Amino acid sequence: MRTYCLEVTGDFACFTRPEMKVERVSYDVMTPSSARAVFESILWKPAIRWHVEKIEVLKPIRWVSIRRNEVGAVVSVRNAQEAMNKGSGNLALNIEDERQQRAGLFLRDVAYRLHAHFELLPNAGENNTMGKFLDMFERRAEKGQCINQPYLGCREFACDFRLVDAKQPQPAPLAESRDLGWMLYDMDYANAADPQPRFFRAQLDGGVLNVPAWSSEEVRG
Amino acid sequence: MILQALNEYYQRKSRMPDSGLAPPGFEHKAIPYLVILTANGEFAGIAPTHEGEGKKKIAKSFLVPQGVKRSSGVASNLLWDNPGYVFGIDAKGKPERAREQHLAFVDALRSRLASCDDAGIRAVLAFLERGDFEKVYADPQWPEILEAGANLTFRLEGDPMPVCEREVVLDTLSATNGQNADGQSLCLVSGEADVTERLHPSVKGVWGAQSSGASIVSFNLDAFSSYGKSQGDNAPVGKRAVFAYTTALNHLLAKGSKQRLQVGDASTVFWCATPGHRMEELFPGFFGEPDKDNPDQGTSAISTLLNAPRTGAGSFEDDGTHFYVLGLAPNAARIAVRFWHVKTVAELAINIKRYLDDIDITSDGVHQRLPLDGYLAAISPESKDRTKPNVVYWKGKYYDVRPNLGGDVMRSVIEALPYPQTLLAGAIRRIRAEQEVTYPRAAIIKACINRYSGKEELKVSLDENNTNTAYRLGRLFAVLERVQEEANPGIRATIRNTYWGAASGTPGKVFPLLIDLSNKHLAKIRREKPGRATNLEKLIGGIMSALKPEMPYPINLPLIEQGSFDVGYYHQKEHPSTYKSQGE
Repeated sequence: MRTYCLEVTGDFACFTRPEMKVERVSYDVMTPSSARAVFESILWKPAIRWHVEKIEVLKPIRWVSIRRNEVGAVVSVRNAQEAMNKGSGNLALNIEDERQQRAGLFLRDVAYRLHAHFELLPNAGENNTMGKFLDMFERRAEKGQCINQPYLGCREFACDFRLVDAKQPQPAPLAESRDLGWMLYDMDYANAADPQPRFFRAQLDGGVLNVPAWSSEEVRG
Repeated sequence: MILQALNEYYQRKSRMPDSGLAPPGFEHKAIPYLVILTANGEFAGIAPTHEGEGKKKIAKSFLVPQGVKRSSGVASNLLWDNPGYVFGIDAKGKPERAREQHLAFVDALRSRLASCDDAGIRAVLAFLERGDFEKVYADPQWPEILEAGANLTFRLEGDPMPVCEREVVLDTLSATNGQNADGQSLCLVSGEADVTERLHPSVKGVWGAQSSGASIVSFNLDAFSSYGKSQGDNAPVGKRAVFAYTTALNHLLAKGSKQRLQVGDASTVFWCATPGHRMEELFPGFFGEPDKDNPDQGTSAISTLLNAPRTGAGSFEDDGTHFYVLGLAPNAARIAVRFWHVKTVAELAINIKRYLDDIDITSDGVHQRLPLDGYLAAISPESKDRTKPNVVYWKGKYYDVRPNLGGDVMRSVIEALPYPQTLLAGAIRRIRAEQEVTYPRAAIIKACINRYSGKEELKVSLDENNTNTAYRLGRLFAVLERVQEEANPGIRATIRNTYWGAASGTPGKVFPLLIDLSNKHLAKIRREKPGRATNLEKLIGGIMSALKPEMPYPINLPLIEQGSFDVGYYHQKEHPSTYKSQGE
């Protein structure tokens, strides 16, 4: 089980709190699910699952409040199905009619070091060995290859990433410790039709957020 | 973090006596009219509950069962509501709906309080069942009530408090507020298992939001729901935590609350983790508008903080107590969080003290440090439209402050960050527009420049050892102005009115001319008071000694240097040596 370390930096980030997701307020620190998404954007196959171990905060936590125009409606599934059956239809969503202004309290100038490993799932085929995926990930991460641009919480906040050798001395994380309250760990897709959120008690210790294992009892939901 | 902090505040405050926070299932509501009933349910009159005089009549608040959240359906409150629900009287041309409303009202009463054996409840039920409300409509106050849709509740004749505050009723209601144990999930605020609340109660009191209240946690449109969840399931918060945080927030935002202030368009509330901490009282003195009853609030708060280390009073030692500042901005039926600051009281005291040191500037004892609004007003033009959210009222006039400036300055003070660029630029711009360097403007410029450079570049009063060219030029300008005034006593338009902008922006063009003019003025002064003329010349010479010989007057000054120019001018003007040489 090899642990990889990625350093991600970005201008903005929004790890949206579930309770304030309309007028967005970000968590103070990156969530494990966002960290997982960064790794998955570099390499993901149905045979593997990423587990985040540690998130280190490298820059001071700074906020910015931005107000943006967004949309309040969702394209109706019924309309789409009708259009599919008939061969033609109107699926337009006019921004002028559905405009919603939403303010957001985002993080800015963020940099994190993420540590994660992946596990090979039991239903992986015979050709899929651990070594194969390890090689693939290392190759892609070094070159900067990714399936989609990694992002920090929301897709519009794209980030840069860099594979880092954790054994070499690295700049120290922020010298700050605080209690971050209950943080969203990830969504549990055991029942794919009704995903359930899982939470854990997050503590920032000298700039390091230690993420418990998914199956541990610290992760509640 | 935000909801969690509010939840903890509620838990701590509700345990303190006289907290004014409603227990679970209740709220404090202003009910303007009470319907008085006799013991067997006969109508005995309507009593208004207004207190205060004239235009400021405010209805009295009572402890009532918590209101239900309703938008378009029929949902009745228990024991109190508007005339449509209480009497079924229809004011909007929809008699069917009014009838439904009345039925709902009576049903709610019967189902929740059927078991309650109380004289008050019996009277209310008898009155409602009789259904004869003619005497009510005949009351002279009725038209007012109907038009305003004012809330009503009942009171038994001879009781001091309304029926809903009678002891037996309170006990019954608290008991029936029990939980049903089905469908519990994790509450993301408290981390305990609890029933998820579907619709969070409204938060009232945010400036600019709907009058019926708005929600921080709301998912009122399709686009806001995720993973197929609807309403409260999008963010599972338990009922207990929801009640706690909304009650705490409503309490902090209530009219007359001492823990709120307005920063631009953001309604700001602040509280300490230990309720009743000294800092809660002092905080509005630094940032808020001066209380009309207590105009010295600002200055007394400032002096308390500054004297705290000396007198030992104030308990600002580092005991880790947290202080929270939350800024809420309205967006129709929702509330956006504009800013959120968490600092320990000790850190906050240190940072505010830093800010106070930054803005300290000499003033010949006339001026004192002002609350934030005073500085913002000093660098803003007068306002033409008083209703805009960013208008600040200061000493009888209204000023148009840039929208985010108040919040940004507050953030710089609390978090010890550099002041916003717009603050410095605003001060310099206003000085150029009015050709006057006033006490607050000079204070702001000194604060901004000192924080940018990280050291005390500009001191509190005149610094004769400061060799910065722009500073010296500012001083020189002040002396030249003084020379002109002494040569032409009673003059009204000095070189400041004509040459200020050019002198501070492009000194190279203007100063040779000004020096030339001053020579002529000095010649005039020398005819009457040769000693004074010599002293002024020495003063000018001393200032100019630090100017570079190859380029004494720079072609132009960048913005920060113009700030130094302004402060130099101010320091020299405030210094007695400009007006009276030593020995005179």
